[in-house]
Amino acid sequence: MAAATGAEVGGACGHHAQRDVCASRANQHHQVYTVNLESRYLLIQGVPALGVMKELVEQFALYGAIEEYNALDEYPAEQFTEVYLIKFQKLQNARAAKKKMDERNFFGSLLHVCYAPEFETVQETREKLQDRRKYIAKATSSKDHFSKMPQEPKRTVSNNSEYDFQSPTSGFRAADRTVGNWDPSACFPDFYKTLHCDVSAGNIAHPSGYHSQSHLASPQCVHYSTKAYECFSYNPSLKPAVQQGGHKHVSASPALQRTFDNGIDRFMPRATQLEERKRKRDEGNKLGIIGTNSDINEVVIGPQLPEMPKVDMEDDSLNTSASLIRNKLQEVAASVPETLKENRQDIQAKPLVKQRRRI
Amino acid sequence: MDLGRLEYLQALVTEFQVTESSEAKEQVLANLANFAYDPKNYEYLRQLQVLDLFLDALTEDNETLVEFAIGGLCNLCLDKTNKDYILEANGVQPIINCLSSSNEETVMSAVTTLMYLTTPQSRPQITALPVVECMLRFSLSTNRRLSNLAVVFLEDYCTPVQVEEARSLSKHTAVGIPLPKD
Repeated sequence: MAAATGAEVGGACGHHAQRDVCASRANQHHQVYTVNLESRYLLIQGVPALGVMKELVEQFALYGAIEEYNALDEYPAEQFTEVYLIKFQKLQNARAAKKKMDERNFFGSLLHVCYAPEFETVQETREKLQDRRKYIAKATSSKDHFSKMPQEPKRTVSNNSEYDFQSPTSGFRAADRTVGNWDPSACFPDFYKTLHCDVSAGNIAHPSGYHSQSHLASPQCVHYSTKAYECFSYNPSLKPAVQQGGHKHVSASPALQRTFDNGIDRFMPRATQLEERKRKRDEGNKLGIIGTNSDINEVVIGPQLPEMPKVDMEDDSLNTSASLIRNKLQEVAASVPETLKENRQDIQAKPLVKQRRRI
Repeated sequence: MDLGRLEYLQALVTEFQVTESSEAKEQVLANLANFAYDPKNYEYLRQLQVLDLFLDALTEDNETLVEFAIGGLCNLCLDKTNKDYILEANGVQPIINCLSSSNEETVMSAVTTLMYLTTPQSRPQITALPVVECMLRFSLSTNRRLSNLAVVFLEDYCTPVQVEEARSLSKHTAVGIPLPKD
Protein backbone atom coordinates (compact mmCIF):
# COMPACT_ATOMS: atom_id res chain seq x y z
CA MET A 1 0.00 0.00 0.00
CA ALA A 2 2.62 2.42 1.06
CA ALA A 3 4.80 1.41 -1.82
CA ALA A 4 2.00 1.85 -4.30
CA THR A 5 1.24 5.31 -3.02
CA GLY A 6 4.87 6.15 -3.14
CA ALA A 7 5.13 5.07 -6.73
CA GLU A 8 2.08 7.09 -7.64
CA VAL A 9 3.26 10.23 -5.97
CA GLY A 10 6.74 9.71 -7.26
CA GLY A 11 5.53 9.06 -10.76
CA ALA A 12 3.68 12.32 -10.76
CA CYS A 13 6.77 14.01 -9.39
CA GLY A 14 8.97 12.60 -12.06
CA HIS A 15 6.64 13.80 -14.73
CA HIS A 16 6.36 17.17 -13.12
CA ALA A 17 10.09 17.48 -12.89
CA GLN A 18 10.41 16.87 -16.58
CA ARG A 19 7.96 19.61 -17.38
CA ASP A 20 9.78 21.95 -15.05
CA VAL A 21 13.02 21.37 -16.81
CA CYS A 22 11.46 22.52 -20.03
CA ALA A 23 9.74 25.47 -18.43
CA SER A 24 12.85 26.78 -16.78
CA ARG A 25 14.81 26.21 -19.94
CA ALA A 26 12.48 28.60 -21.68
CA ASN A 27 12.42 31.20 -18.93
CA GLN A 28 15.94 31.32 -17.78
CA HIS A 29 17.98 32.83 -20.55
CA HIS A 30 21.00 33.81 -18.59
CA GLN A 31 23.25 31.90 -16.35
CA VAL A 32 26.62 32.59 -14.89
CA TYR A 33 29.07 29.80 -15.31
CA THR A 34 31.17 29.12 -12.19
CA VAL A 35 33.34 26.34 -10.90
CA ASN A 36 30.36 25.11 -8.88
CA LEU A 37 28.46 24.23 -12.02
CA GLU A 38 31.11 22.28 -13.81
CA SER A 39 32.00 18.69 -13.09
CA ARG A 40 33.79 15.59 -14.24
CA TYR A 41 30.37 13.92 -14.15
CA LEU A 42 28.23 14.19 -17.22
CA LEU A 43 24.59 13.28 -17.34
CA ILE A 44 23.51 12.05 -20.75
CA GLN A 45 19.81 12.17 -21.41
CA GLY A 46 17.91 11.13 -24.49
CA VAL A 47 19.86 7.97 -25.23
CA PRO A 48 17.55 5.72 -27.25
CA ALA A 49 16.71 2.53 -25.37
CA LEU A 50 18.26 0.29 -27.99
CA GLY A 51 21.01 -1.28 -25.95
CA VAL A 52 23.57 1.14 -27.31
CA MET A 53 25.48 1.82 -24.10
CA LYS A 54 28.67 0.42 -25.57
CA GLU A 55 28.46 2.75 -28.54
CA LEU A 56 27.66 5.65 -26.27
CA VAL A 57 30.60 5.02 -23.98
CA GLU A 58 32.93 4.54 -26.92
CA GLN A 59 31.77 7.79 -28.41
CA PHE A 60 32.42 9.65 -25.16
CA ALA A 61 35.74 7.92 -24.61
CA LEU A 62 37.03 9.74 -27.66
CA TYR A 63 37.27 12.84 -25.48
CA GLY A 64 39.31 11.31 -22.70
CA ALA A 65 39.62 8.56 -20.17
CA ILE A 66 36.37 7.55 -18.55
CA GLU A 67 36.57 6.50 -14.94
CA GLU A 68 33.08 5.19 -14.40
CA TYR A 69 29.79 4.96 -16.16
CA ASN A 70 26.31 3.84 -15.27
CA ALA A 71 22.87 3.57 -16.65
CA LEU A 72 20.57 5.55 -14.37
CA ASP A 73 17.56 3.34 -14.69
CA GLU A 74 15.56 5.16 -12.07
CA TYR A 75 16.20 8.59 -13.46
CA PRO A 76 13.13 10.12 -15.08
CA ALA A 77 13.45 9.83 -18.82
CA GLU A 78 11.41 10.40 -21.92
CA GLN A 79 9.71 7.31 -23.24
CA PHE A 80 12.05 4.87 -25.01
CA THR A 81 15.11 6.74 -23.87
CA GLU A 82 17.66 6.08 -21.17
CA VAL A 83 19.84 8.26 -18.99
CA TYR A 84 23.51 7.59 -18.41
CA LEU A 85 26.09 8.99 -16.06
CA ILE A 86 29.67 9.19 -17.25
CA LYS A 87 32.54 10.25 -15.05
CA PHE A 88 35.65 11.43 -16.78
CA GLN A 89 39.06 11.41 -15.19
CA LYS A 90 39.64 15.01 -16.08
CA LEU A 91 37.39 18.01 -16.05
CA GLN A 92 38.69 19.33 -19.35
CA ASN A 93 37.76 16.05 -21.01
CA ALA A 94 34.26 16.24 -19.61
CA ARG A 95 34.09 19.81 -20.85
CA ALA A 96 35.16 18.82 -24.34
CA ALA A 97 32.80 15.86 -24.45
CA LYS A 98 29.90 17.97 -23.30
CA LYS A 99 30.62 20.61 -25.87
CA LYS A 100 30.85 18.14 -28.73
CA MET A 101 28.16 15.68 -27.73
CA ASP A 102 25.38 17.92 -26.48
CA GLU A 103 22.56 18.13 -28.99
CA ARG A 104 24.29 15.51 -31.07
CA ASN A 105 22.20 13.01 -32.96
CA PHE A 106 22.80 9.55 -31.57
CA PHE A 107 20.96 6.63 -33.14
CA GLY A 108 18.18 8.94 -34.19
CA SER A 109 17.76 10.76 -30.92
CA LEU A 110 19.18 14.09 -29.77
CA LEU A 111 21.44 13.70 -26.77
CA HIS A 112 21.22 16.18 -23.98
CA VAL A 113 24.49 16.35 -22.10
CA CYS A 114 24.94 18.36 -18.94
CA TYR A 115 27.35 18.55 -16.04
CA ALA A 116 26.20 16.64 -12.96
CA PRO A 117 28.12 18.05 -9.98
CA GLU A 118 25.40 16.68 -7.70
CA PHE A 119 27.02 13.26 -8.13
CA GLU A 120 30.36 14.44 -6.76
CA THR A 121 31.66 13.25 -3.44
CA VAL A 122 32.97 15.81 -0.97
CA GLN A 123 36.48 14.86 -1.97
CA GLU A 124 35.73 15.35 -5.65
CA THR A 125 34.23 18.75 -4.98
CA ARG A 126 37.28 19.64 -2.93
CA GLU A 127 39.62 18.60 -5.72
CA LYS A 128 37.61 20.50 -8.28
CA LEU A 129 37.94 23.69 -6.23
CA GLN A 130 41.65 23.08 -5.79
CA ASP A 131 42.12 22.50 -9.50
CA ARG A 132 40.53 25.84 -10.25
CA ARG A 133 42.84 27.41 -7.68
CA LYS A 134 45.87 25.88 -9.36
CA TYR A 135 44.67 26.86 -12.79
CA ILE A 136 44.19 30.51 -11.81
CA ALA A 137 47.54 30.59 -10.03
CA LYS A 138 49.23 29.29 -13.13
CA ALA A 139 47.35 31.53 -15.52
CA THR A 140 47.87 34.71 -13.54
CA SER A 141 51.50 34.07 -12.70
CA SER A 142 52.31 34.13 -16.39
CA LYS A 143 50.55 37.40 -17.07
CA ASP A 144 53.39 38.70 -19.17
CA HIS A 145 53.15 35.71 -21.35
CA PHE A 146 49.49 36.39 -21.88
CA SER A 147 49.85 40.02 -22.80
CA LYS A 148 52.58 39.20 -25.29
CA MET A 149 50.45 36.69 -27.03
CA PRO A 150 49.54 37.52 -30.60
CA GLN A 151 46.00 38.47 -31.50
CA GLU A 152 43.74 35.56 -31.02
CA PRO A 153 42.11 34.07 -34.02
CA LYS A 154 38.42 34.69 -34.30
CA ARG A 155 36.35 31.70 -33.61
CA THR A 156 32.79 30.86 -34.29
CA VAL A 157 30.94 29.10 -31.59
CA SER A 158 27.85 27.07 -32.05
CA ASN A 159 24.64 28.09 -30.35
CA ASN A 160 24.75 25.88 -27.37
CA SER A 161 28.43 25.84 -26.78
CA GLU A 162 29.89 27.26 -23.68
CA TYR A 163 33.06 29.14 -23.19
CA ASP A 164 36.11 27.15 -23.78
CA PHE A 165 38.14 29.07 -21.29
CA GLN A 166 40.84 26.51 -21.03
CA SER A 167 41.90 27.03 -24.57
CA PRO A 168 44.27 29.88 -25.21
CA THR A 169 42.07 31.03 -28.04
CA SER A 170 39.12 31.80 -25.90
CA GLY A 171 36.09 32.68 -27.96
CA PHE A 172 35.88 36.33 -27.23
CA ARG A 173 34.36 37.27 -30.55
CA ALA A 174 31.71 34.73 -30.20
CA ALA A 175 31.11 35.84 -26.68
CA ASP A 176 28.62 38.55 -27.47
CA ARG A 177 26.54 35.84 -29.04
CA THR A 178 27.17 33.08 -26.61
CA VAL A 179 27.43 34.44 -23.13
CA GLY A 180 24.01 35.91 -22.86
CA ASN A 181 22.34 32.95 -24.36
CA TRP A 182 24.32 30.46 -22.44
CA ASP A 183 22.07 27.49 -22.11
CA PRO A 184 21.37 27.06 -18.43
CA SER A 185 19.88 23.66 -18.87
CA ALA A 186 23.09 22.52 -20.39
CA CYS A 187 24.87 22.94 -17.15
CA PHE A 188 22.27 22.95 -14.54
CA PRO A 189 19.88 20.10 -14.36
CA ASP A 190 16.92 22.04 -13.14
CA PHE A 191 15.28 18.79 -12.46
CA TYR A 192 17.36 18.56 -9.38
CA LYS A 193 16.11 21.85 -8.11
CA THR A 194 12.67 20.42 -8.09
CA LEU A 195 13.80 17.16 -6.75
CA HIS A 196 15.59 18.70 -3.82
CA CYS A 197 12.55 20.73 -3.03
CA ASP A 198 10.50 17.60 -3.03
CA VAL A 199 12.86 15.78 -0.80
CA SER A 200 13.28 18.59 1.64
CA ALA A 201 9.54 19.02 1.73
CA GLY A 202 9.40 15.57 3.23
CA ASN A 203 8.38 13.72 0.14
CA ILE A 204 10.61 10.79 0.76
CA ALA A 205 8.44 8.48 -1.29
CA HIS A 206 10.10 9.36 -4.52
CA PRO A 207 10.35 6.30 -6.66
CA SER A 208 13.86 7.03 -7.69
CA GLY A 209 15.04 5.64 -4.44
CA TYR A 210 18.61 6.34 -5.21
CA HIS A 211 18.09 10.04 -5.01
CA SER A 212 17.09 10.02 -1.43
CA GLN A 213 19.63 7.39 -0.82
CA SER A 214 22.36 9.46 -2.33
CA HIS A 215 21.42 12.36 -0.13
CA LEU A 216 21.64 10.21 2.92
CA ALA A 217 24.83 8.50 2.01
CA SER A 218 27.92 9.52 3.82
CA PRO A 219 29.75 12.07 1.76
CA GLN A 220 32.95 10.12 1.91
CA CYS A 221 31.70 7.03 0.21
CA VAL A 222 30.70 6.80 -3.35
CA HIS A 223 27.09 7.62 -3.29
CA TYR A 224 25.58 5.37 -5.82
CA SER A 225 25.37 1.78 -5.00
CA THR A 226 24.11 -1.18 -6.85
CA LYS A 227 21.36 -1.48 -4.34
CA ALA A 228 20.16 1.97 -5.14
CA TYR A 229 19.79 1.52 -8.81
CA GLU A 230 20.69 -0.63 -11.70
CA CYS A 231 24.06 -0.26 -13.08
CA PHE A 232 25.79 -2.22 -15.63
CA SER A 233 29.13 -2.11 -17.12
CA TYR A 234 30.38 -2.89 -20.47
CA ASN A 235 33.98 -3.07 -21.26
CA PRO A 236 35.38 -5.40 -23.79
CA SER A 237 38.80 -5.36 -22.27
CA LEU A 238 37.72 -6.25 -18.80
CA LYS A 239 37.63 -9.56 -17.08
CA PRO A 240 34.11 -10.57 -16.27
CA ALA A 241 35.05 -10.25 -12.65
CA VAL A 242 35.37 -6.55 -13.04
CA GLN A 243 31.83 -6.25 -14.22
CA GLN A 244 30.64 -6.15 -10.74
CA GLY A 245 29.02 -3.76 -8.40
CA GLY A 246 28.54 -0.11 -8.98
CA HIS A 247 32.06 0.77 -9.98
CA LYS A 248 33.66 0.10 -13.21
CA HIS A 249 37.21 1.08 -13.58
CA VAL A 250 37.79 1.08 -17.21
CA SER A 251 41.27 -0.15 -17.47
CA ALA A 252 43.30 -0.88 -20.49
CA SER A 253 45.34 -3.96 -20.07
CA PRO A 254 46.19 -5.76 -23.25
CA ALA A 255 46.75 -8.93 -21.33
CA LEU A 256 43.15 -9.13 -20.38
CA GLN A 257 40.99 -11.44 -22.34
CA ARG A 258 38.46 -9.80 -24.52
CA THR A 259 35.02 -10.76 -23.40
CA PHE A 260 32.52 -9.64 -25.87
CA ASP A 261 29.01 -9.33 -24.74
CA ASN A 262 26.58 -9.89 -27.48
CA GLY A 263 23.72 -9.49 -25.10
CA ILE A 264 23.69 -5.75 -25.41
CA ASP A 265 24.57 -5.61 -29.04
CA ARG A 266 21.21 -6.59 -30.29
CA PHE A 267 17.89 -5.11 -29.57
CA MET A 268 16.14 -6.32 -26.49
CA PRO A 269 12.96 -5.17 -24.86
CA ARG A 270 13.67 -2.96 -21.90
CA ALA A 271 12.37 -5.45 -19.36
CA THR A 272 14.69 -8.08 -20.75
CA GLN A 273 17.53 -5.64 -20.66
CA LEU A 274 16.95 -4.93 -17.02
CA GLU A 275 16.80 -8.61 -16.25
CA GLU A 276 19.97 -9.14 -18.21
CA ARG A 277 21.69 -6.40 -16.27
CA LYS A 278 20.62 -7.88 -13.01
CA ARG A 279 21.80 -11.29 -14.09
CA LYS A 280 25.18 -9.88 -15.10
CA ARG A 281 25.50 -8.03 -11.87
CA ASP A 282 24.70 -11.07 -9.82
CA GLU A 283 27.19 -13.03 -11.82
CA GLY A 284 29.76 -10.36 -11.20
CA ASN A 285 28.94 -10.28 -7.52
CA LYS A 286 29.45 -14.00 -7.31
CA LEU A 287 32.85 -13.68 -8.84
CA GLY A 288 33.56 -10.83 -6.51
CA ILE A 289 32.75 -13.00 -3.52
CA ILE A 290 34.99 -15.77 -4.76
CA GLY A 291 37.71 -13.21 -4.69
CA THR A 292 38.82 -12.98 -8.27
CA ASN A 293 38.21 -9.29 -8.09
CA SER A 294 40.29 -8.58 -5.05
CA ASP A 295 43.59 -8.03 -6.73
CA ILE A 296 42.63 -5.55 -9.37
CA ASN A 297 44.94 -2.71 -8.72
CA GLU A 298 46.33 -1.88 -12.10
CA VAL A 299 46.64 1.75 -12.99
CA VAL A 300 43.49 3.11 -14.52
CA ILE A 301 44.36 4.70 -17.79
CA GLY A 302 41.02 4.71 -19.43
CA PRO A 303 38.98 2.53 -21.65
CA GLN A 304 40.52 0.45 -24.30
CA LEU A 305 38.48 0.25 -27.40
CA PRO A 306 37.67 -3.24 -28.51
CA GLU A 307 40.17 -5.18 -30.52
CA MET A 308 39.37 -5.64 -34.15
CA PRO A 309 37.39 -8.82 -34.62
CA LYS A 310 39.17 -11.42 -36.64
CA VAL A 311 36.42 -12.02 -39.09
CA ASP A 312 36.44 -15.11 -41.21
CA MET A 313 35.84 -13.92 -44.74
CA GLU A 314 35.27 -17.52 -45.89
CA ASP A 315 37.87 -17.20 -48.57
CA ASP A 316 41.61 -17.68 -48.25
CA SER A 317 42.48 -14.74 -50.41
CA LEU A 318 40.11 -12.44 -48.62
CA ASN A 319 41.39 -13.65 -45.28
CA THR A 320 44.94 -12.90 -46.33
CA SER A 321 43.97 -9.41 -47.36
CA ALA A 322 42.07 -8.90 -44.16
CA SER A 323 45.00 -9.95 -42.02
CA LEU A 324 47.29 -7.72 -44.09
CA ILE A 325 45.04 -4.76 -43.45
CA ARG A 326 44.77 -5.69 -39.82
CA ASN A 327 48.50 -5.84 -39.41
CA LYS A 328 48.97 -2.59 -41.27
CA LEU A 329 46.46 -0.90 -39.01
CA GLN A 330 48.23 -2.23 -35.97
CA GLU A 331 51.50 -0.83 -37.25
CA VAL A 332 49.93 2.54 -37.81
CA ALA A 333 48.36 2.28 -34.41
CA ALA A 334 51.70 1.93 -32.73
CA SER A 335 52.78 5.31 -34.04
CA VAL A 336 49.45 7.18 -34.07
CA PRO A 337 47.22 5.92 -31.32
CA GLU A 338 44.62 8.61 -31.94
CA THR A 339 43.88 7.48 -35.44
CA LEU A 340 43.76 3.93 -34.39
CA LYS A 341 40.98 4.59 -31.98
CA GLU A 342 38.81 5.89 -34.72
CA ASN A 343 39.73 3.17 -37.15
CA ARG A 344 38.91 0.54 -34.65
CA GLN A 345 35.73 2.30 -33.88
CA ASP A 346 34.70 2.32 -37.52
CA ILE A 347 35.54 -1.25 -38.13
CA GLN A 348 33.87 -2.25 -34.93
CA ALA A 349 30.73 -0.37 -35.75
CA LYS A 350 29.91 -2.29 -38.90
CA PRO A 351 29.19 -5.78 -37.64
CA LEU A 352 27.28 -4.31 -34.72
CA VAL A 353 24.92 -2.37 -36.89
CA LYS A 354 24.36 -5.49 -38.90
CA GLN A 355 23.52 -7.47 -35.82
CA ARG A 356 20.90 -5.05 -34.68
CA ARG A 357 19.01 -5.64 -37.92
CA ARG A 358 18.08 -9.08 -36.64
CA ILE A 359 14.96 -7.76 -35.02
CA MET B 1 46.57 45.11 -25.19
CA ASP B 2 43.49 43.87 -26.96
CA LEU B 3 41.58 47.06 -27.59
CA GLY B 4 38.62 45.29 -29.12
CA ARG B 5 38.08 43.34 -25.96
CA LEU B 6 38.48 46.36 -23.73
CA GLU B 7 36.05 48.35 -25.84
CA TYR B 8 33.53 45.55 -25.79
CA LEU B 9 33.72 45.23 -22.03
CA GLN B 10 33.52 49.00 -21.69
CA ALA B 11 30.34 48.95 -23.76
CA LEU B 12 28.89 46.31 -21.45
CA VAL B 13 29.71 48.34 -18.35
CA THR B 14 28.18 51.45 -19.86
CA GLU B 15 25.06 49.60 -20.85
CA PHE B 16 24.73 48.20 -17.35
CA GLN B 17 24.90 51.69 -15.93
CA VAL B 18 22.53 53.45 -18.32
CA THR B 19 19.90 50.86 -19.10
CA GLU B 20 16.51 51.09 -17.43
CA SER B 21 15.46 47.58 -18.33
CA SER B 22 16.10 45.04 -15.60
CA GLU B 23 16.14 42.31 -18.23
CA ALA B 24 19.00 44.07 -20.05
CA LYS B 25 20.77 44.69 -16.76
CA GLU B 26 20.61 41.01 -15.92
CA GLN B 27 21.86 39.97 -19.31
CA VAL B 28 24.77 42.39 -19.23
CA LEU B 29 25.74 41.38 -15.72
CA ALA B 30 25.63 37.71 -16.72
CA ASN B 31 27.92 38.58 -19.61
CA LEU B 32 30.40 40.36 -17.38
CA ALA B 33 30.32 37.59 -14.78
CA ASN B 34 31.01 35.01 -17.45
CA PHE B 35 33.92 37.06 -18.72
CA ALA B 36 35.23 36.95 -15.17
CA TYR B 37 35.70 33.18 -15.49
CA ASP B 38 38.63 33.67 -17.82
CA PRO B 39 41.83 35.01 -16.22
CA LYS B 40 42.73 36.65 -19.50
CA ASN B 41 40.04 39.24 -18.85
CA TYR B 42 41.06 40.18 -15.31
CA GLU B 43 43.23 43.10 -16.34
CA TYR B 44 40.40 44.65 -18.38
CA LEU B 45 37.82 44.00 -15.72
CA ARG B 46 39.96 45.75 -13.12
CA GLN B 47 40.58 48.65 -15.44
CA LEU B 48 36.84 49.08 -15.91
CA GLN B 49 36.20 48.69 -12.18
CA VAL B 50 33.95 45.74 -12.74
CA LEU B 51 34.95 44.44 -9.31
CA ASP B 52 33.21 47.42 -7.76
CA LEU B 53 30.28 46.89 -10.07
CA PHE B 54 29.94 43.30 -8.81
CA LEU B 55 30.33 44.35 -5.18
CA ASP B 56 27.70 47.08 -5.56
CA ALA B 57 25.29 44.70 -7.25
CA LEU B 58 25.42 42.41 -4.18
CA THR B 59 23.11 44.86 -2.42
CA GLU B 60 20.56 45.01 -5.25
CA ASP B 61 16.99 44.00 -4.49
CA ASN B 62 16.83 41.99 -7.68
CA GLU B 63 17.83 38.43 -6.66
CA THR B 64 19.00 37.60 -10.14
CA LEU B 65 21.44 40.51 -10.19
CA VAL B 66 22.82 39.36 -6.85
CA GLU B 67 23.20 35.83 -8.19
CA PHE B 68 25.16 37.01 -11.21
CA ALA B 69 27.28 39.46 -9.24
CA ILE B 70 28.37 36.84 -6.69
CA GLY B 71 28.98 34.44 -9.59
CA GLY B 72 31.28 37.01 -11.12
CA LEU B 73 33.13 37.50 -7.84
CA CYS B 74 33.41 33.73 -7.43
CA ASN B 75 34.97 33.59 -10.87
CA LEU B 76 37.64 36.23 -10.38
CA CYS B 77 38.40 36.22 -6.66
CA LEU B 78 41.20 33.63 -6.85
CA ASP B 79 43.51 36.04 -8.59
CA LYS B 80 45.77 37.65 -6.00
CA THR B 81 45.22 41.23 -7.16
CA ASN B 82 41.46 40.74 -7.31
CA LYS B 83 41.41 39.03 -3.92
CA ASP B 84 43.34 41.88 -2.31
CA TYR B 85 41.04 44.38 -3.94
CA ILE B 86 37.87 42.69 -2.69
CA LEU B 87 39.27 42.36 0.84
CA GLU B 88 40.42 46.01 0.80
CA ALA B 89 36.95 47.10 -0.30
CA ASN B 90 35.36 45.30 2.67
CA GLY B 91 33.75 42.84 0.33
CA VAL B 92 33.59 39.96 2.81
CA GLN B 93 30.53 41.15 4.74
CA PRO B 94 28.22 41.59 1.75
CA ILE B 95 29.34 38.15 0.55
CA ILE B 96 28.54 36.63 3.95
CA ASN B 97 25.13 38.24 3.66
CA CYS B 98 24.59 36.26 0.45
CA LEU B 99 24.56 33.10 2.57
CA SER B 100 21.04 33.96 3.67
CA SER B 101 19.75 34.30 0.12
CA SER B 102 16.87 32.06 -0.91
CA ASN B 103 18.57 31.52 -4.24
CA GLU B 104 20.62 28.36 -4.13
CA GLU B 105 23.13 29.41 -6.79
CA THR B 106 23.79 32.64 -4.90
CA VAL B 107 24.47 30.70 -1.71
CA MET B 108 26.80 28.23 -3.40
CA SER B 109 28.77 30.95 -5.17
CA ALA B 110 29.08 32.76 -1.86
CA VAL B 111 30.40 29.67 -0.04
CA THR B 112 33.02 29.08 -2.72
CA THR B 113 33.95 32.76 -2.85
CA LEU B 114 34.46 32.87 0.91
CA MET B 115 36.77 29.87 0.75
CA TYR B 116 38.74 31.44 -2.07
CA LEU B 117 38.99 34.76 -0.22
CA THR B 118 40.41 33.21 2.92
CA THR B 119 43.82 34.60 3.88
CA PRO B 120 45.49 34.79 7.29
CA GLN B 121 44.07 38.31 7.56
CA SER B 122 40.54 37.59 6.37
CA ARG B 123 40.17 34.25 8.14
CA PRO B 124 38.76 35.60 11.43
CA GLN B 125 35.92 37.35 9.61
CA ILE B 126 35.22 34.52 7.16
CA THR B 127 35.16 31.82 9.84
CA ALA B 128 33.23 33.88 12.36
CA LEU B 129 30.84 31.86 14.49
CA PRO B 130 27.61 32.72 12.65
CA VAL B 131 29.22 31.74 9.34
CA VAL B 132 30.42 28.41 10.71
CA GLU B 133 26.98 27.78 12.14
CA CYS B 134 25.49 28.52 8.78
CA MET B 135 27.87 26.07 7.10
CA LEU B 136 26.94 23.40 9.64
CA ARG B 137 23.34 23.70 8.54
CA PHE B 138 24.25 23.76 4.87
CA SER B 139 26.25 20.58 5.41
CA LEU B 140 22.94 18.89 6.26
CA SER B 141 21.21 20.18 3.15
CA THR B 142 19.58 17.70 0.80
CA ASN B 143 21.25 19.58 -2.00
CA ARG B 144 24.39 17.60 -2.42
CA ARG B 145 26.23 20.37 -4.21
CA LEU B 146 25.60 22.72 -1.31
CA SER B 147 26.36 20.16 1.40
CA ASN B 148 29.62 19.19 -0.31
CA LEU B 149 30.76 22.80 -0.40
CA ALA B 150 29.81 23.34 3.22
CA VAL B 151 31.68 20.22 4.33
CA VAL B 152 34.79 21.36 2.49
CA PHE B 153 34.45 24.75 4.18
CA LEU B 154 34.13 23.18 7.63
CA GLU B 155 36.92 20.66 7.14
CA ASP B 156 39.45 22.77 5.31
CA TYR B 157 38.91 26.32 6.51
CA CYS B 158 37.72 25.97 10.09
CA THR B 159 39.43 24.47 13.11
CA PRO B 160 37.74 21.55 14.88
CA VAL B 161 37.33 23.87 17.87
CA GLN B 162 35.42 26.41 15.79
CA VAL B 163 33.15 23.70 14.40
CA GLU B 164 32.52 22.28 17.86
CA GLU B 165 31.71 25.70 19.23
CA ALA B 166 29.24 26.34 16.43
CA ARG B 167 27.71 22.92 16.93
CA SER B 168 27.09 23.39 20.60
CA LEU B 169 25.72 26.85 19.99
CA SER B 170 23.31 25.76 17.30
CA LYS B 171 21.88 23.20 19.69
CA HIS B 172 20.48 26.04 21.75
CA THR B 173 19.16 28.18 18.96
CA ALA B 174 16.49 26.54 16.88
CA VAL B 175 16.13 29.33 14.38
CA GLY B 176 18.90 30.50 12.20
CA ILE B 177 19.29 31.65 8.66
CA PRO B 178 16.78 29.67 6.61
CA LEU B 179 17.94 27.25 3.94
CA PRO B 180 17.67 28.50 0.39
CA LYS B 181 14.36 27.69 -1.25
CA ASP B 182 15.36 26.15 -4.54
